[in-house]
Amino acid sequence: MREWWSKVRRLFTGRPGDLAAEIDAEIDSQMEFEIQENIARGMPPDDARAAARRHIGNLTQIREQAVDAWRFPPLETIAQDLRYGMRGIRRAPGFSLVVVLTLALGIGANTAIFSVVNAVLLRPLPYPAAERLVALGESDPNAEGISVTWVNYQHWRGENRSFEDMAGFRTAGLTLTGRGEPLSTRAGVVTYGFFGLLGAHPLLGRAFRPDDDQPGAAATVVLDYRFWVSKLAADPGILGATLELDGKPYEIVGVMPPGLRFFERGIDYYLPLHRFEGEIVDRGRHGSMRLLARLKPGVTLAAALADLDLIMRRLAKSDPGPEDQHHAHGTFLADATAGDLRPNLLLLLAAAGLVLIIACANVAGLVLARATVRAREIAIRAAIGAGRNRLVRQLLTENLLLAALGGGAGALLAHWGSRALIAAAPLPIPGLAETTLDWRVLLFAVAITLLTGLFTGIAPVFAAGRLDLVSALKDSSRLATGRGGQRSRSALVVAEIALTLVLAFAAGLLLRNLIAAETADPGFVPEHVLALELALPSSSYRSPQEIRGFYDRLEQDLNGLPAVVWVGAVSCPPAEGDCGDWFYSILDRPAPQPAEVPIALFNTADRDYFGAMRIPLREGRGFADTDRPAGPRVAIVNETFARKWWPKESAVGHRIKSGGPYREGPIYEIVGVCGDVGQMGLGTAPYPEIFLPFSQSPSAAMAVMIRTGGDPDSLAPAVRRSVTAIDRNLPIQSLRPFTRIVEASLAQRRFSTLLLALFAGLALALAAVGIYGLLNYWVRVRESEIAIRLALGAPQPSILRWAGWQALRLSSIGASAGMLAGWVVSRWLRNLVFGIADNIATLAAAALAVVAIAMIAAAIPIWRASQVDAVEKLRSL
Amino acid sequence: MSTVDDPRERLEFLQGTLEVLILRSLQVGPNHAYGITQFLERQSGDEFLVDNGSLYPAVQRLLQRNWIAGQWKMSPNGRRAKYYRLTPAGRKQLVAATSRWQRFVEAMGRVLAAEG
Repeated sequence: MREWWSKVRRLFTGRPGDLAAEIDAEIDSQMEFEIQENIARGMPPDDARAAARRHIGNLTQIREQAVDAWRFPPLETIAQDLRYGMRGIRRAPGFSLVVVLTLALGIGANTAIFSVVNAVLLRPLPYPAAERLVALGESDPNAEGISVTWVNYQHWRGENRSFEDMAGFRTAGLTLTGRGEPLSTRAGVVTYGFFGLLGAHPLLGRAFRPDDDQPGAAATVVLDYRFWVSKLAADPGILGATLELDGKPYEIVGVMPPGLRFFERGIDYYLPLHRFEGEIVDRGRHGSMRLLARLKPGVTLAAALADLDLIMRRLAKSDPGPEDQHHAHGTFLADATAGDLRPNLLLLLAAAGLVLIIACANVAGLVLARATVRAREIAIRAAIGAGRNRLVRQLLTENLLLAALGGGAGALLAHWGSRALIAAAPLPIPGLAETTLDWRVLLFAVAITLLTGLFTGIAPVFAAGRLDLVSALKDSSRLATGRGGQRSRSALVVAEIALTLVLAFAAGLLLRNLIAAETADPGFVPEHVLALELALPSSSYRSPQEIRGFYDRLEQDLNGLPAVVWVGAVSCPPAEGDCGDWFYSILDRPAPQPAEVPIALFNTADRDYFGAMRIPLREGRGFADTDRPAGPRVAIVNETFARKWWPKESAVGHRIKSGGPYREGPIYEIVGVCGDVGQMGLGTAPYPEIFLPFSQSPSAAMAVMIRTGGDPDSLAPAVRRSVTAIDRNLPIQSLRPFTRIVEASLAQRRFSTLLLALFAGLALALAAVGIYGLLNYWVRVRESEIAIRLALGAPQPSILRWAGWQALRLSSIGASAGMLAGWVVSRWLRNLVFGIADNIATLAAAALAVVAIAMIAAAIPIWRASQVDAVEKLRSL
Repeated sequence: MSTVDDPRERLEFLQGTLEVLILRSLQVGPNHAYGITQFLERQSGDEFLVDNGSLYPAVQRLLQRNWIAGQWKMSPNGRRAKYYRLTPAGRKQLVAATSRWQRFVEAMGRVLAAEG
């Protein structure tokens, strides 16, 4: 090893010719010594020189031999190794095919998953110094990462010592008119420093200047590339033209380049935030603004947040109020963008890693078995003069060759696999579409391939190293059944079974969880409901009366359509996610500490929402026409809310205050309790929720639920006509059967569960191959022993029992270890996925399945053992 | 073919022994290639003929294994020569090789001297 290192170092540091020159100089100096000596003995100088030259010998030859010592073994030996390797692979086609396929599956599955993980989690964000970009929000004791108030932002930006720059951003929905059909569009509302932080320069025109981003400034808009191309036909003369948004003209001053995808759901154009926000002096006024900021080099996120908290503490003294308990909250942008997907991808990566380990164990077992069969061949080679290093090198070459073939096949599989993954992905996942087998993925695949090659290569090398030549030549079977080899192969099979069981168990748990979520009562009836989502623009619907007027008339018209059974509206439909939570307090309870004010989801529903969705009313009454806009304020809470505060008594009649004891807010009397509905998605944890009546708290954006007696899809055109009949400038946000919304909320879980099930299936197949290979080999080396037993009168059933016992023993040890490991893994899973429960039945089912498959795989070798022809076998011994 | 060794012919090195002998020659102190040759020839009672075609590659192999290190220095008579010295690893290797050689010689001796 040391020699190789020296040679490699010389290869990189030495110049060709240096070594030869140095050796020449050395020989010269030696010649001078000899000449001097010869002269000292009394020779004449010419003779002395000639004698010295004669004594030294052929100078060229010496130099070349000395330089040769630094060369690597000639290329021919490597070529020969490769040739022998190919010959070895061809000579055992079955073995080679199984190894290559096993590796291809292991490496292919891993690379496919890693490509996705790489695209979504690891690929650096396409911004300058992106590793220092952070997303900032505020936190209070109840919620992390809530919006930053405008006043706090001003102070943070002006007084911090940790950030290079800071910009605010949020999104807004506006209606575009005056260019064909009215269109509902999304704006990225940003402060002028935003583009600088992202390193984005406009493709046309300019980005915002500080004077665009001020209250009272002229209305300007910068277009997103995709919007410019798809809606404005990529018109290069668009600068200076106007866009009519919510009825007001905005001058187009710039177009951003393609590929700027900061906002997850995509936006159509950018508007200056400060101009939009106006002058705000109330420090406690939250909107939906978050901050983008770049840390100064060398400043940690924790130190920067501490810096901001210092500002918050100063402000608590100079400008006290509801913000006093708030802190700065920050995450690196790279972490924030992957967000919810992280657990899923990590889970899949762990599963892929397990499959690879199983694949490696399989290959190692196979190679180990083959090496012992080949012990005789190796012994003969050693006996006729092959050096041990050469033998080891050749075995390694053969295994690396197999690994390379497997890796190549795996890369192909990965390519198709990742295409299939992208095609099968249920939702637009940020970055997923850009998944390619880039150099990092390739490097990962190569590393796995080489490691696998080395790992499996080491096994036969150790076996060859331990070889006792004489006994190998005399009796290959005794050596092949040597205790050590058998034990390590058995250990591999046991480990394989254990790992497979863990995967099967994890897949089983997730599957059960998914089935539970799908079959669980969602708390409403999603079938036969058409969901119509609308957002009334504030430019044409200025007052609550106008909003109420629109929806009242719409529901009246919709109720007149044939087949329509019931029409109700809600502002945040089930499975829609977090549409907004807020502080509250219970009036007849002691006021909580400012830091402990509870929060709940606030939602708005009209009189018929609960009926149209078939959400049961547990107590009290639903909303009624008597809940007049100016009348006493009422609310309906969900079961989780009611149980949290009044586990023993009825919630009806109690009063809640919006905003909690320390903020302004109206007081509501609870008039009813409704059933829980998965607001964050089906099968998710229920969350306390407060419904306000639409009549008292009208909302411009509502989802109108239309229950029909027939097919919701066929009702859609009539619904569309009804909307246009009332307001032909109003865009429809979305119109689809509600079952499709429910599907979408389960789609991602279905996706990852499906993948995990695929992995478990793959692992089972690999483990079956491994067990088959081992037992098959085990029977082969024992054929003579079996023959002798049969010849001595052992009945066939006892041979079967003997072989069967081996298989059962290995699989039960593996299964026990796997059950233990599975139990540990299920703890980890429980932290990762909501609703996972310990489940003995699932564990037992997984163990049974794995043992059963192991026994099926063992059946063929066991049967073969019973078919040994005693006479023939004994004759061939 | 003569079966008896011709005493006029000098001994050839067995494979791998030259390296050990070079290490041994450096045990007494750093020396240059010619000095090593002279040492070996003198110590073997002129039984060994050290061929430069073997010596130089052997020295290179020892350098690769980090058993010796070389450095150009002035010799006592004012000539520049490359002096080699033992490294700690080389010293360890010499001890190991010496004891292995002694076992080999004893075994050879016992077998060859055995009667019958």
